[in-house]
This record gives sequence, C-alpha cells and structure tokens, in this order.
Amino acid sequence: MLKTIKPKNARSKRAMDAREPKEIEDARTCIFVKGTHVGERAGPAMKDLMALKRPHAISFSKKNTVRPFEDTSSFEFWAQKNDASLFVVAQSTKKRPDGLTFVRMYDGKVLDLVEVGVDNFVGMAELKTPKCTPGHRPLLHFASPLFDTHPRYIQLRSLLIDFFNGQVTPEVHTKGIEHVISITTAPVPENLNLTAESVSGGKTPLPKVYVRSYTISQQASSKDGAADAAHRPSSSLKPTPSSSSTSNLRPLTLTPMGPSLDLTLRRHTPPDAELLRLALKRPKLAQASVQKGLGKKKKNLEVDEMGDLRGRIHVGKQDLRGLEGKRMKGLRGEQQEAVVMDLDGEGSGGEEEEPVRKKSKKARTE
Amino acid sequence: MDVSDFLASHAAKSEVQVVDKEIPLTTDLAFLSVFDTNTIDEESHKCHLQSLANDGVQTLLVSLFKLPTTQTPDGPMVQLPQPTVLLPRAKPLPKPKPPTKWEQFAKAKGIQNKKRDKKVWDEERQEWVNRWGKDGLNKQKEQQWITEVPMNADIDHDPVKEARDARKARVAKNERQKLQNDAAAAGLSGKAAQEERKKDIDRTLSSSRISTASMGKFDKKLDGEKKIRGVKRKFEPAEGISEKDSSLSILKNMESDSRKTRTGPAPAEESVINTRKAVRFASKGRGGLAMARGGSAGRGGRGRGGKR
Repeated sequence: MLKTIKPKNARSKRAMDAREPKEIEDARTCIFVKGTHVGERAGPAMKDLMALKRPHAISFSKKNTVRPFEDTSSFEFWAQKNDASLFVVAQSTKKRPDGLTFVRMYDGKVLDLVEVGVDNFVGMAELKTPKCTPGHRPLLHFASPLFDTHPRYIQLRSLLIDFFNGQVTPEVHTKGIEHVISITTAPVPENLNLTAESVSGGKTPLPKVYVRSYTISQQASSKDGAADAAHRPSSSLKPTPSSSSTSNLRPLTLTPMGPSLDLTLRRHTPPDAELLRLALKRPKLAQASVQKGLGKKKKNLEVDEMGDLRGRIHVGKQDLRGLEGKRMKGLRGEQQEAVVMDLDGEGSGGEEEEPVRKKSKKARTE
Repeated sequence: MDVSDFLASHAAKSEVQVVDKEIPLTTDLAFLSVFDTNTIDEESHKCHLQSLANDGVQTLLVSLFKLPTTQTPDGPMVQLPQPTVLLPRAKPLPKPKPPTKWEQFAKAKGIQNKKRDKKVWDEERQEWVNRWGKDGLNKQKEQQWITEVPMNADIDHDPVKEARDARKARVAKNERQKLQNDAAAAGLSGKAAQEERKKDIDRTLSSSRISTASMGKFDKKLDGEKKIRGVKRKFEPAEGISEKDSSLSILKNMESDSRKTRTGPAPAEESVINTRKAVRFASKGRGGLAMARGGSAGRGGRGRGGKR
C-alpha cells in the first residue's frame, strides 16, 4: 500500500483531485495485460478489444506472470497506480488455451473475475469494412434468455456493459452512434440447470457466447444514391422530430466490423456480497432529478413559471359543527335543522370561507 | 404503364419493420443497451446473429429517438434517462466534507456566507487588483513609499515590519485553523489532536537525544530535562525476586500464549496407554512419587501429582 501523498503543487493537486471518487463516475479505464503466453487468438482478440475501448485503455505489452484466480495483489497495485478499475488478461496455457480474464475492481480491490476462452476470432483487420471512430459509445445488444436467468451470464452481461458502455452520461450525440456490439449465446440446451449446482461446473457445458460488432448505416432514401449507402456508417442517423412516428428512421443495415469472438465460459469468481453491497450504493438524487419524477415520487410539488417550488398540503376536513351562524328570530324554532344544513356545507357564508383561505396561504411554501 | 406495384414494393422495402417478437425487447437507454430474452433457435449462425442484432438495434434506435432532444450547435443531443440496470461503482461514493468550525458557527447563527471575489477595484490605480497574492491589496501597507508614524512611536518603530508581521500572523492563524479543522475532520477532537502532537514531539526529542556518537551519554543535561523513557537495557533486581520465580513466570507466560510455545507432535505412546491412569492404578492411587519411595509414604499423598 502506497502512502497517501500530499500534493506539493497545484498541478499535482489537480491530478489527485481528478482521481477522487465522484458522484457520477467517469468511464472505467481498462488495462490490457499480457500474460506469460498470450496465444494465437487471445492476443489479437485483446488488441481489438483495446481498439474498441480506446481512449480509456492502457496496454501492458510486456509479459507478466499473473494468475488472477490465485493472487490479485498485482491488480490492486496496478489499479492504484494507473487509476484503472478494469483489467483484461490474456493468458494461454496448455490446460486453458487462449483465455481472456476480465477483472473488475471496486475501491482498489478485486470485485469479480470472469474467464472466457476464445474459440474463434475474426479481427478488425481481416474485414475490409468501415470501422467506428475511437471513443464513440457503442450500442449494446444482448440476445439470450440466459442473460436474465443464469447467474454466470448475468455476471458476464454486467461485466460487458461495464466494459463497453459503463459510463453514465446525461446526453448522447445522435451522430456519434456508429456501431453496435451484439452479444448472443448459442441455443440453450434443455437440460441446462439454472440452479447454483450447475453454476459451479455442472456436467452440461454452458452455451457459447458470440460477440459480434457491426457498423450501423441507414439505407439511403429514394433521393440519395443507393451506392453510397453501404460505405457510410451512420452519419445520417437523425432523431425524429415528432415523438410518435418512426417514419424518419430508415431501415438499417449492419456491416460486420470486427472483432467477432466466440467465447466459452471458464472459471469465475462471483463478487463478494459485502463488497457488492457497497459498490451498488447509489447517491441521493438531486433536487432536479426528483423534479423530473425520478426516485421516490413527491406528491403535490410543482415548480411555477418563476422557477419557485410550490407545494400544496391537505388541511383536512373542517369541523363546522361548532360554527355559529346568524341567528334570526324567525328561525329560532328550527335550530336543529339549521345545524344539519351547516354540516352540508352549503349554507355557510363568507365567514366560513375566511379561515380556509388563510390556511391555504400558509401552506404555500417557496 | 402501371407502376403502382413497383412503387408499393419499393415503399415496403424502405419502410422500417416494426420488430414483433414473442417477448418484447427491453432497453436500458442510459447504457444504450437492448435486451432480447426470446429463446434462440437453431439456425445457421452467421445470418441469424446479424438479423437478431438488426432487430435489436431497430428497437433501440426507435426508443432512443423518442426521447427528448436538445439542439446544440453540433447537432441534436438525445437526453438519456437514469439507468435501470445496476452496475457496481468503481469507487465508493464521495464522502460529504465535514463543516469547518466557522461553517458550524455560521449555520447556528444563521450567517449567510458571502463569496468574496479575488479581485477588488482599486480607485487610485483605476484597475482591478488582487485581494491577496501577487501585488495583493493586503501588502499595500508594506509596499507604499511613505507611511504615517504615530506621535508616540518608539525610535525603532518600523511601520513596514509591523504591517508585514501582522499579515504573516493572519496567515499563520488561518493555517492553524485549517489544521484544526482537518484534524476534526479526521476524527480527532481538539484535545486529542494536541495529545497526538505532544506525543510526536516527545518521540522526535527522544530520538534526537540518542542520535549522538555516544548515544547521548556525554551530552549536557539541561535543567528540568526528563530521563528518556523506554530505555532498552534493563537490570534485574539483585534481591527480592528469586531466580526460580522469574523463570517460572516466563514459563507461565509461554503457556498462556499458544503462539509462543513450540507445538510438537504428541508422544506416540500416549495414545496407546493413558500413563496417568496406569500410574494411578499401579500406585493404588498414591501417586508415582510414593511408589518410587517404595510405598513407605503414609496416607498423606492423594496420588494426584503422579509423574508422567
């Protein structure tokens, strides 16, 4: 553990402040670590994953003797040094050829690990198709019932969302949507058990996971030339002005961009329950987001045109039985009836209206 | 020539097919993700995967473009909702900064804090000047070329030095208060912080006293200087405690702490014969010592202290 350093100048202080925990976090920086033997498929696969992850990627191109499932101390050290919270380790052994291990960190400690084997790999360079711009957020597509039911696949899905798209941004630029990463599993065998038993290495092999990436382009409308449609990734994506119709969205064509990976699930470590509980803590919602209707709904609050917050409170039903109306000589004999009328609330005059109005004025809060 | 068929087929081709599936697709627009939970049937993989992805992207883009947008000079930006999928954070939530002593006081008194600008308008120079820092206004008294001297001033009265000292004292006071606030934020109250500081000074002093060649033996002693605590060499008292007692106390200490004692394997025969029981049996309950003496001992021994 390194000592906490007091910054000596403004520049290092700024750098240290940038590493402080934030309420809305930046994208996770990922370190791509080469193991002792990388393998024919895992090495290029890692390189292409890095190309997708750029600019939030750091390459450790020298060989490292790391065994993620046995000793995690190096990851903790590297995470602290580089302010990174994700690792991809490529390691090929005789027993487990072409393995990629995804390591996710929380607070400088390893949260969970997933090892996948690369069975088949087609790189970006092999496909002579248009590529996405580095730094653009991909769309993610998960297609399998397993991603909602099976603990192994739920973990993988969470990790892959974190890897490709974990940053929460308030807005996204529509022109920047260029590519999609599609993650699918093989057909689910019927005897696949979804209980914990099968999770820890049951007899039925877990279905493979297919990772494909495509660039998105819209088919040209009748005005545009049809020829340029294929070689123009996505730059013509525009949102519809009207919310209901989808008329402006032309049919899409997906062009394989690479990398495409066929993965088998291997070893894994589920997150520690206590650590996960801490990692899943959410910040309290800001006032603005409460107004938008997020979080716990607050009733009877509204912002008026001046931007003031106004609230309405219910003052309860008023007890009007003790109210004394005007006594007239002619009505004295029928007092009982008068009370009944008051209870209906119809016979009350201006006097009755007054206290109600006073209360409602108080109720307005600025 | 009738072109309506041709036109209709063209329109059908260029129309967005509404994705219709058994289980409708769900999206998490904050992560630009779409989840398709329909079962995957066995088909040729390459085409199948791409058509699956196409459906997903279609659904995602339709729901994405339904979101409200803001116009920027670079183009429309889609406002994203809050995420529904829970992802673990990379770092813990930022801790709220504890209020300083002044902030606590201001809150209790209801004082509104006014933010002071760094720059102030200087009437004489007709420009904005720093309140502090480079050419700061707080150094004006030190830097002006003439200063009024009070009538009853001393001979060695130096107005520049006085002003500078006062400024330095203010800076020092601020620094001290900041340290106190930091200590309070770290969980140390004022008294505890003082104690900590005292301990720190003592430690530094004692280490500096033994840092000479003679380890402080021939240094001049000052008045009221305390003896260094924590001297390593220690002599046992010649009288009082006997050697046996001290040795026994060491043994007792060793027994108390299992980590200090050496744990060897248990003797092999112990598992076969219970020695204690055997001795008790052979000596008829009088103990091993009594048996060794040849049974001449009286009835005094209870046989509990048998030799193992």
